Amino acid sequence: MFYSTDPKPSDVGGLLTEPSNKSLITFDRTCCAYENHSEKYMLKNRNFQRQYAHLYAKRLWSMRDNVTKAAKSKWGKDVKIRKLHELQCDEKCVIIGTLFKHMDLKPSILKEISEEHNLMPQPIRSNYVDESDKLILEDELQRIILVGELDVNKSVTGAIIAVYGKEPENSRGKFHVEDYCFQELPKQIPRPTLKEDKYIAFISGLEIGGKREQTFPLQLFIDLVTGQVGDMGQQEASASIVRVVVAGNSLSVDTQDKESFNKACVDVDVMSGEFDPANYILPQQPLHRCMFPHASKYETFTTVTNPYDFSLDGVRILGTSGQPLHDIMKYSTLEDPVEIMEKCLKWGHIAPTAPDTLGCYPYFEDDPFILDICPHIFFSGNQSQFKCNTMKGPSGQQVLEISVPRFCDTATCVLVNLKSLECQPLQFQTDFNLIQNESPEVDK
Amino acid sequence: MEDISLTALSEMSKFSKLTVHVSSSMMNFKNSTAPVSSLQLTADSTADDSRQQVESESKRFDDDDEDPSMFEAELALLDEVENEMKDDIPDAFGEGPESESSNSKWSRPPVPDINPAKQKIVFQQIDVDYYTGRHFPGMPGSKVGPVPIIRMYGVTMDGNSVMAHIHGYAPYFFIPAQPGFKEEHCRAFQITVALPRLIAPAKRLLEQGFTCPGYSQFGFQAYESNIDFEIRFMVDADVVGCNWIEVPAGKYHLRDRSHSDSNNDPKNPAPVSRCQIELDVSWEDFISHAPEGEWSVVAPFRILSFDIECAGRKGIFPEPDKDPVIQIANMVIKQGDKDPFVRNVFTLNTCAPVVGSQNFDLPYLINRANHLKVSNFNFLGRIKNMKSVIKESMFQSKQMGKRENKVINIEGRVQFDLLQILLRDYKLRSYTLNAVSFHFLQEQKEDVQHSIITDLQNGNDQTRRRLAVYCLKDAILPLRLLDKLMCVINYMEMARVTGVPLPYLLSRGQQIKVISQLLRKAKLQDLVIPVHKVDTGDEYEGATVIEPVKGYYNIPIATLDFSSLYPSIMMAHNLCYTTLLNQHVIQKEGLSPDEYIKTPSGNYFIKTSKRKGLLPEILEALLSARKKAKADLKKETDPFKQKVLDGRQLALKISANSVYGFTGAQVGKLPCLEISQSVTAFGRMMIEQTKNFVEEKYTVANGYKYDAKVVYGDTDSVMCKFGVETVADAMELGKEAAEYISAKFVNPIKLEFEKVYFPYLLINKKRYAGLYWTNPAKHDKMDCKGIETVRRDNSPLVANLINTCLQLILIDRDPDGAVEYAKQTISDLLCNRIDISQLVITKELTKTDDEYAGKQAHDPIYVLENNVPIDTKYYLDNQLSKPLLRIFEPILGEKKAESVLLRGDHTRTKTVVTSKVGGLMAFTQKKDKCVGCKTTLQENGIAVCKYCKPKESEIFQKEISHLHTLEEKFSRLWTQCQRCQGSLHEDVLCTSRDCPIFYMRKKVQKDLADHDKLMERFGNPIW
Repeated sequence: MFYSTDPKPSDVGGLLTEPSNKSLITFDRTCCAYENHSEKYMLKNRNFQRQYAHLYAKRLWSMRDNVTKAAKSKWGKDVKIRKLHELQCDEKCVIIGTLFKHMDLKPSILKEISEEHNLMPQPIRSNYVDESDKLILEDELQRIILVGELDVNKSVTGAIIAVYGKEPENSRGKFHVEDYCFQELPKQIPRPTLKEDKYIAFISGLEIGGKREQTFPLQLFIDLVTGQVGDMGQQEASASIVRVVVAGNSLSVDTQDKESFNKACVDVDVMSGEFDPANYILPQQPLHRCMFPHASKYETFTTVTNPYDFSLDGVRILGTSGQPLHDIMKYSTLEDPVEIMEKCLKWGHIAPTAPDTLGCYPYFEDDPFILDICPHIFFSGNQSQFKCNTMKGPSGQQVLEISVPRFCDTATCVLVNLKSLECQPLQFQTDFNLIQNESPEVDK
Repeated sequence: MEDISLTALSEMSKFSKLTVHVSSSMMNFKNSTAPVSSLQLTADSTADDSRQQVESESKRFDDDDEDPSMFEAELALLDEVENEMKDDIPDAFGEGPESESSNSKWSRPPVPDINPAKQKIVFQQIDVDYYTGRHFPGMPGSKVGPVPIIRMYGVTMDGNSVMAHIHGYAPYFFIPAQPGFKEEHCRAFQITVALPRLIAPAKRLLEQGFTCPGYSQFGFQAYESNIDFEIRFMVDADVVGCNWIEVPAGKYHLRDRSHSDSNNDPKNPAPVSRCQIELDVSWEDFISHAPEGEWSVVAPFRILSFDIECAGRKGIFPEPDKDPVIQIANMVIKQGDKDPFVRNVFTLNTCAPVVGSQNFDLPYLINRANHLKVSNFNFLGRIKNMKSVIKESMFQSKQMGKRENKVINIEGRVQFDLLQILLRDYKLRSYTLNAVSFHFLQEQKEDVQHSIITDLQNGNDQTRRRLAVYCLKDAILPLRLLDKLMCVINYMEMARVTGVPLPYLLSRGQQIKVISQLLRKAKLQDLVIPVHKVDTGDEYEGATVIEPVKGYYNIPIATLDFSSLYPSIMMAHNLCYTTLLNQHVIQKEGLSPDEYIKTPSGNYFIKTSKRKGLLPEILEALLSARKKAKADLKKETDPFKQKVLDGRQLALKISANSVYGFTGAQVGKLPCLEISQSVTAFGRMMIEQTKNFVEEKYTVANGYKYDAKVVYGDTDSVMCKFGVETVADAMELGKEAAEYISAKFVNPIKLEFEKVYFPYLLINKKRYAGLYWTNPAKHDKMDCKGIETVRRDNSPLVANLINTCLQLILIDRDPDGAVEYAKQTISDLLCNRIDISQLVITKELTKTDDEYAGKQAHDPIYVLENNVPIDTKYYLDNQLSKPLLRIFEPILGEKKAESVLLRGDHTRTKTVVTSKVGGLMAFTQKKDKCVGCKTTLQENGIAVCKYCKPKESEIFQKEISHLHTLEEKFSRLWTQCQRCQGSLHEDVLCTSRDCPIFYMRKKVQKDLADHDKLMERFGNPIW
């Protein structure tokens, strides 16, 4: 037994016993109520005549109330909340607005295409942080530079923030921050108590057709999920995997035409990712069915948006294929995926750097990336390593944050028990000479 | 408040027109492809060395009018002069407002108590002018009647503003003594007159001649009657532009600030200026420091940059009698500081607080004020009661063409029109503030249309704030440019070197600089300068070039240069007005042949041993000063002082070169064909000689490895192919040859080895490109001469294509790759894959916009929005083919280049675009085509035909990856504009057509919409 917390002794080791009539037993796939909440990420009648200002305006407008509330509970009900144009010198107050991080190294398409610069290609960097970076707060109308107690390197463009401090007479145009806060974690729907163990599997970065494709581990994963490996105990346990989420990059950068997942007896949701044949900007639309002529015949096979928001038996699950995290890593010194996910939850926004450095649809009337309901599970695909953490909110919220590693690099998928919200990585070690890591396959 | 006012480059884009060539066949109006006739802003592109710029001398029309006028009229004028004190220019005087003290942060530092008897006052002057006033008791000069008084404006080291009234200096000119005067008596009379105005009538009277009883009628030729009074004074007082003036203790009268002029006491006049310190001094009493050593510093001048915004009406350029000025942004910086210390905006109506002219703005403000009858606005100058008025003047030079200028008098403040400076000193594709800023600073501003400006103004205090931010940016960019280009420093140094007041450098041509220097030298030798009557004479032969041996040289070519060729020829052969001889003089004076020379153009000049010329002396002074400045520059570590010195050496170089130009300027003050044609003749001869020396010495016969060959020679440089294969070897031979040949020429002519070109693409006369090496380890840069990279009438496509090809040829040494690249670009052009911003041709218009109404077909946006087909043939035939063939002919050969580039397979595929406008469109019916094979589909709304259906996945993936690319471009372009405008929450309003992404972002919107439609035909992605 490899993932049940409480194995029945009689089921263990069945594979090594003589065949018996028991082998005719079949395990029915556990049923589970599924609900898709990603309608808001589906784009109909896309319109590109608009600019990005509306998205920012909407973001600030919709989050301002919550941020104001958080500010009042932090610095007292009577704290002065000012718009930038009402600022008075030396008056202690709170200002609320959108953060903008000015970065000299931020890649600029203007510089890239200008005649004068095409002589000197700009160096390719993986991180654009520089000493000269500075933070600017912008409300509906104006901007001010922020200095003081706010770490530039750990802040990102696009977050809605309340800062407490003043604009001193002797340094006009700069707001000296003493403290800051974001909106409070939104409410969470109470998590239902499940009677039995049900599992959801997260996998990402298969990169089928790519140079790093892990064919054998992938087959093992498929066999495991479909109940074709292991003894009956394992098969029974496999049957309790209620859903598989493929969190992006099923295909690799250099894959041309591929049809994967052509047999699925479990519900599989395939999210679009950075390298998948999908559109560029967030939200990425589901992969087109014409690319899966075989798999698309199965009802259990679904392609979904990125980000993806759904619930299973009332457990609310939200996640992306990883682009928001990768973008934040490029424009800050934040590296730990789980730390960034925690920050996103605190910022109340799952992709704050969109649209500035992260491609995004020019939304007009809403910002669907604002976190208005707190999920129970928050995942991010295509990360360098597996990590998980449980974050606790001020009003009893509990969120399981999971960094799902790239399968092609780690041969690891992640299983989460929906009943207990416990989470464990499963690594498919195929290099038999190097059994250093404890592999769940051989641990008995 | 400020010393130098800097007008923003104003909305130049209003005067220039952007065009894109479109196919005429699709258009309703016939003439749409005819190029818009226009004035070229840049001079001939071949004029790429400073000498030629000087050759094309400029002339001011309103310099000195010499209209012959009636004697009576002149007498009348003499009477008028009596009244001159009252009204110099009618309506120029008025009651100026008192100075008001504003924000203490903005004020100049307070003036310390000065005791005139014990303390000296030292200041750097930036402008000199004069006015007509009364005699000041105790000062020299005429005691009765009106007298001219020199005014000097400046700033002390502590930042206090100073104005000095300098008394006792009177204007004069010379006439030769009448025959009959013996040489020991005198040879000339100095005629001193009361006022500068009287010089012209006095000169005319003397020229006409008059009869004196007992003598025959005699007309006198005047000398030096055409010298500006200020220049005359500066020469005599040894003052040069922007130098330091010391007024010694006890020698001056300090005007009392608190004193008012009620008692009209001639001994104690009231101050008339807005300067903090105002004083009176005799012209004999002050000390003028030469700008050297401790006196080479620069005072903390204040530079104001301002920009105005007008509420325009749609489609009409603002007019001062109709459109109000709604905002004025000001930025004031102290010379040498990093950030401006005054940043403010005056706005009409309320404005939310802000955290934190090409001769257009000033005339507009004044005209607007006049229109509104604001009586005390016009007092912009330092003289309290002097109004600023607008005068129209024409300024013409070969260099810049004919331009109408509005001249405004603002006494004591220097107007620095950055646009004029840029036009004069830099050759750019576009001169809008945006283009210039991006070119030099990699910074841009938003470009807001005039109609939107009005909307913003009529909005609320927040929209006006937005406008204010925009206005402020317009004001700060010129300051940044000024700093980056070191304009102030360079111009100050130029003023110091040539001895003219700073404003002259901007308002006058090159000539005045040479005149000023010539006068200073002539004075030392007791010589006077004749007045030259303008007449156009014969053209003389210019510089020659050695016929280029065209080709692509994949071996190092060493370049030998004559340093300061023309100045050194003039020095070496003592060429000057004062040394010019003719046969008659030679015979009369009995000169022996070893006392004079005959130049290659057949003119005679006396040798230095007999008499040294003035021009050689001026040149020697300039060049030795340059040498010194360069030496100091090497030693200097302080970056600001380095800037000063570098500006200085540059000014000296330009001045030295302009001396030759002065002698050749036919319409100039004192042209002398004998000098200028001798100079060029010597130059030609020396280039020929150098070629011969090289080719005679560096031969296999003389023990060298190869026979050297001069492949090209031009004005002052010679390109030698020594045959060696490495840069190091070529350098060694180059150095050796330079030394060997220098020894054969008269001192100070010097041949220098400067650089090696490797590889070198020699296209034609004055057209070549090469990698430039000054040390054998690494090349310095790619150097291109006369190749279409910055010409304004070319589209950026040409410049980019040529540039990339040259890079491939020279840096990557991949001529084949360059050919491939050129073919690809041509193919892209024919298939309509070129970004439209690459095809925009900018032209400056000379006519009003109305004349171009109806030609909107050229407007790139119109073209984009309506799918108007681009006239790709025009671009290929008229723009690309010539420059491309030029650079590829030396590589591929003449015939082959054309067949390979312009006739190959890549020219066969063409994309025909269907216009949304035009006659036939109304009759066509649209049917979808299969995305895969382009056959017409029987039903609309599906993506592929039944034959392509099995490949649908593949076709879809190709199309979605294109969508991917477009979306990425869309998001990057529009977020870039947000960053540039500095706001996330407000829509981007900018319509700067100079910005390289302006058309691109528009196009990507359209492409994305189109492509999205196409993707929809594949059906809903999920099921």
